[in-house]
Amino acid sequence: MKRKRSLVRWFTNQELARKLILINFLLVVVPIGAMGVYTFSSFENAMEKNVGAYQLQTIQQLTLNIDTYMNELNRLTLSPYQYNEILEYLSADRKPGQPLTLEQIGHLNGFVSKIFINGRIDIMGVSLYGEKGASYVVLPDSQYVTSYILDESAEWLKRAKGLYGQPTFITTHQIKSTSGTTYDVFSIARELRSFDTGETIGYIVIDIDPAAVRGILQQVNLAAGESMYIVDQQGRMVIRREDEDLAPPLPGELQGQGVRHVDASGGMPESLVAYVTSPVTGWTTVSVVPVKELMRDSHKVRSSMTLVIVGFVGLAMLLNVFTAFRVTHPLRKLSRLMRKVEQGELQVAFPVTGQDEVGRLGGSFNTMVSKLSELGYLLYETEIREKDAQIAALQSKINPHFLYNTLGTISMNAELEGNRDIVTMANNLSRMLRYSLSSRQDIVTLKDELKHVNGYMAIQMIRYGERIRFLEEIEERALGCVVIPLIVQPIVENAINHGLDRGVGSGLIRLTGSEKAGVLTLAIEDDGIGMTNDELERIRSRLRQSKDLGGKSGNGLLNVHRRILLHYGEPYGLTFESMPYQGLKVTMTLPAVR
Amino acid sequence: MNVKPLYALIVSILLAAVAGCATTADNAEPRQTKSGQAIRIEYWTPFSGGDNQFMTEMVERFNREQSDVLVVQTNSRLDDYYSRLRTAILSGNAPDVAINHATNLPQFVQNGYIEDLSVPAEEVGLDWSVFNGNIMGSVVYDGHPYAVPLDTHALVMYYNKEYLSAAGLLDSSDKPILDASEDGFVSFLRRIQEAVPSDVAPLAQPSTRIDSVWLWWSLYNQLEGGGSFYDEQGSKATLDNPQALRALEFVHELYASKLIPPDINDAFKMFYDGKAAVLITGMWGTGAFEHAPALDFGVVPLPTIYDVPAVWGDSHSLVVPTKHGMTDEKRKAIMTFAKWMVEHGEKWAEAGHVPSMTRVVRGEAFNALKYRSDYAATANFVKYWPRHVRQWSTTEVLIREFERMNYGQQTPEQTLKIAAAKIDAELKR
Repeated sequence: MKRKRSLVRWFTNQELARKLILINFLLVVVPIGAMGVYTFSSFENAMEKNVGAYQLQTIQQLTLNIDTYMNELNRLTLSPYQYNEILEYLSADRKPGQPLTLEQIGHLNGFVSKIFINGRIDIMGVSLYGEKGASYVVLPDSQYVTSYILDESAEWLKRAKGLYGQPTFITTHQIKSTSGTTYDVFSIARELRSFDTGETIGYIVIDIDPAAVRGILQQVNLAAGESMYIVDQQGRMVIRREDEDLAPPLPGELQGQGVRHVDASGGMPESLVAYVTSPVTGWTTVSVVPVKELMRDSHKVRSSMTLVIVGFVGLAMLLNVFTAFRVTHPLRKLSRLMRKVEQGELQVAFPVTGQDEVGRLGGSFNTMVSKLSELGYLLYETEIREKDAQIAALQSKINPHFLYNTLGTISMNAELEGNRDIVTMANNLSRMLRYSLSSRQDIVTLKDELKHVNGYMAIQMIRYGERIRFLEEIEERALGCVVIPLIVQPIVENAINHGLDRGVGSGLIRLTGSEKAGVLTLAIEDDGIGMTNDELERIRSRLRQSKDLGGKSGNGLLNVHRRILLHYGEPYGLTFESMPYQGLKVTMTLPAVR
Repeated sequence: MNVKPLYALIVSILLAAVAGCATTADNAEPRQTKSGQAIRIEYWTPFSGGDNQFMTEMVERFNREQSDVLVVQTNSRLDDYYSRLRTAILSGNAPDVAINHATNLPQFVQNGYIEDLSVPAEEVGLDWSVFNGNIMGSVVYDGHPYAVPLDTHALVMYYNKEYLSAAGLLDSSDKPILDASEDGFVSFLRRIQEAVPSDVAPLAQPSTRIDSVWLWWSLYNQLEGGGSFYDEQGSKATLDNPQALRALEFVHELYASKLIPPDINDAFKMFYDGKAAVLITGMWGTGAFEHAPALDFGVVPLPTIYDVPAVWGDSHSLVVPTKHGMTDEKRKAIMTFAKWMVEHGEKWAEAGHVPSMTRVVRGEAFNALKYRSDYAATANFVKYWPRHVRQWSTTEVLIREFERMNYGQQTPEQTLKIAAAKIDAELKR
């Protein structure tokens, strides 16, 4: 369980391409391999079964052929019944070696000649035995012999006696001609009986060259390593093929017919044994095929199958690896780019080639990166501006207490002197300083801001006297709105600078404010020399494009505009309207927040 | 990525797989038996003396020495052989090559039963002039050779040295001391009879079959004016004549006097087993007697009891029965075998026969063989049976009548008279 879980974890942690390869490998190799193994094993079983059936059929046919031949021989052993002289000769009391009369010689020789001539060419010998000592034995290369006596212990004789006249077949043995040559023969023996007495008269034995039967065996095309032979009831070899040098091993008792799978034992390889026992001879035709030889062809099939499978699986895996890497290649590239972004490098772009998921992901990535870089810039700018404001504040904070005290002292002295203007100016200046320096807080109400503007204007009024008029028309409900500090005074200052300082005579500064539909609108108008279209356009484009902070010496308007943009974003900020010699109207829009 | 290498890879893998299949198929193909290519020749032989084992050895050796021709020998006993061969020829089942006795050639040459061998012999380079003239004459009909002669074989006289020496009848060179005359031969056998145990035959000859006929034909031909069988037209037997009778009476006397014991079936086996002092039979016994473990024997040509040397003889020859399906290829294979057989005559001579090729008879190998040179000259005075298409049947008549005589059922005069009458009847059929 633990291992399984760790395996799953291991798999989960693999690269995507590896996962794909592994999964495809499992999907391709496992089914094909399993199919191959299954196909081959069922093929092998079917083959063994078929070969066994075919083998059995072959030897059934073979046994039938041999039986036909044996029946022919069998009929020959009946021929003594057609010759009374032969039956008489065999029934007679005779001493071994007792000479034959010329007539007997004639009859016996004629009888044997008929068997030789009418029978098959492979008849090697004919023997007649009487129960009472008669015999007439003709062996190959030899003259007849009458001196043989029945060997009562002979196995075939015992067998022939119990068969009620049925023939018995005698396993291949050797007979020796008078000139000393030995011949391999198998024999067929039959008990001859008298119909009248029912007693046994004697026996006829016909010796046959096994070559003919071997010839029948030889006609069968053997599989490689196959051996085919005939054994008798005791498992002794009767006939085997010429091309088999060694007597093949005998796989135990085989009677009847069937196919048997014999495991390797005692020098005999694992084999398929088919056998059929002939009803005529009682001999069993056996065919032994080593399984190894049988399966040689199928093993060839297996190797070629394996070769083809390995080839195709290899090919599939190759393609698989290729596609896996190809599919995950953009992802890996993306991940590399991400890492760069992670390290702060934002000047990267993912080449989008298609509109698939990866392409879309790439597009999104590109957008994200560009947004990120923009956002980063804005953040950076805000921070700088804040710092600037703070620095500026710090600069003006230089010894503020000293300044307050000084202003307090001036105001007191002016009070003692009775100069109201100085008192007013000193108090206003002191208030302005306090507002400016204490405005660490980010937001103030419009009311506070206007108080600051009024303080400023009070000073300027004293400075300019009758030349300046200041009108303030603010909706009551707009006064509660929250605004950024120090945004109105710079514009009023600008209006005085541009509207009055450059002009001659008196000037009007008008500050209007209203709140409508969630938007706080403040307008500062002057009636100064105004601006030409070119000047207006220049200042507008600076507002739109420049990221220039305006600097310390920079335009106060620009500064305010940027601060509003940074703080509230588009579309808030300043707008300008002017005509030459008609004054300048600066409109400030802010969200109405309470 | 470039796609071409990928295709090349696929194609090469497929090719390898296909090539793999192709090679396995090749391996399975060639599995043919060796004997499948050899031309199989059926060969029939009638050997029933000791000579068959020598023939079998020669056939085996021929099959071993080359692989183009496979000769398969089938041997039958002589008694049935010609019936079988004639039936086989008439029924179209004849063997490809068969042994034929020169005596039997006329009946096979007639009606084209066997092939004229002039052309086939020329094809394998068999030169007829290498054969002994006497033997060669027996296979030529109308100037055409119809058989390849293997040998000459004739009657010879085998003797058991132990018994002859016991009777004091061996000279210093181990040859029998024998006065070549009727009386001389009889007294020779009588002295043996006195010297050997009673179960040993002085002279062993079967009472049945052809042996007594051969002996008679040999002696008949030794007589001045003897040897006549048919009249000039070959339509009437002429063997009922004084010379024939004289020879037959002498043969009969040997049986009647029990110098040849009665009821002998297998004289060959008797001599082989040491149960006979003298045996007159074909020279084919030599090889077999040499293999007899306890037999010390000698062999001489049949004694010339009468006027001129003469002895029955015959010749084994190879014939090619005419049959459907005989091809030039097969004919050539047969002639190759025949040529090999005559050229290896010294091996056949081990059986006892005198080889047909002059070169072989003069050769060292043959002369190094014991006994054979003792009777090689016999080939020069061999008397074949008359060349007659019915010779086989007329000889059968003689055999039957001689058997009766040997079993005491008729006299020599009756035998000749009845035989002549039966032969005349046979010839008229």
